Amino acid sequence: MSSIALVTIVSSFLASAVEFVEAVTIVLAVGVTRQWRSTLIGVAAAIVALTLLVAIFGTAIVLFVPIDVVRLVVGGFLLIYGLQWLTKAVLRAGGARAKHDEAAIYEREIAELRAEPPVPAAGMDWISFTVAAKGVLLEGLEVAFIVVTFGASAGMLGPAAAGAAVAGALVLGVAFLVHRPLAAVPENALKFAVGVMLTGFGTFWAGEGVGIDWPAGDATILALLAAYAVLALVGISFVQGRLANRRLRVTGASPGH
Amino acid sequence: MRYVRSFFGFWYDFLVGDRPELFVGPIAALFLAWLTTRASLPAPMAGGLLFLLVATVGGLSIAWAVRE
Repeated sequence: MSSIALVTIVSSFLASAVEFVEAVTIVLAVGVTRQWRSTLIGVAAAIVALTLLVAIFGTAIVLFVPIDVVRLVVGGFLLIYGLQWLTKAVLRAGGARAKHDEAAIYEREIAELRAEPPVPAAGMDWISFTVAAKGVLLEGLEVAFIVVTFGASAGMLGPAAAGAAVAGALVLGVAFLVHRPLAAVPENALKFAVGVMLTGFGTFWAGEGVGIDWPAGDATILALLAAYAVLALVGISFVQGRLANRRLRVTGASPGH
Repeated sequence: MRYVRSFFGFWYDFLVGDRPELFVGPIAALFLAWLTTRASLPAPMAGGLLFLLVATVGGLSIAWAVRE
């Protein structure tokens, strides 16, 4: 297996694992609070829709769009998306943005679902179906976006989809066993790693798309990943320093201090 | 009309979100890198420029977010 295929699988796996953890929180909240049958039908409907999306758009992009155009457009989206993930991860790690807390989200979902009309005595509970399908579809759309963009840019749709499928099976399996939200998964650290990967690969492929001849070829990807990781760590220190300074100013300006 | 608006609203939120500079910045960076590749400058320059511009966009966005 080539190193690019391996990195594609790992990146897709990590990115998908994060999104699946978020989807599982919603599904568990709906199933536990309302009705499992309608919830699982909603999940199945969303998975079918997502699989069709990846199969249709992924295959169409790989088969019909020239690789340079794919690398420019799809690599560009990957770069944009990666930079969004990375900056959010830096802000969370630095304390400027609230960290993702699956346990808190789970409690909030349960409170909202309990305020809904009661589950019908017989037949389908459409609230369970809709909330579960929407949750899986929205979180899964991010997985589909990463799989299609990453897979198409690298010309490795199969490995990217395999990474996502393994992540999905693992997260669902663990959630089924423990039967509660996977709050112990280090989501913020995973998002940081995925942000670095998507930004690095996005820069490389979109750069090739605009005609950049990277001096060290594919090995440049490793240099880009290392450079973005170092800069992101510097960014975390910067955010922590700014927030500490602000707290000092506020404390200093408060009367009685 | 409502569905069309929600469709585009969804994709705007998905790709642009609350930090438009992270959408516009990389596109501008890629455009400048493309101009550099056309200017017959040494090959590593365009790559280095793209990296620096992307890093700058990310850095500025983080600085603005902290200030807000």
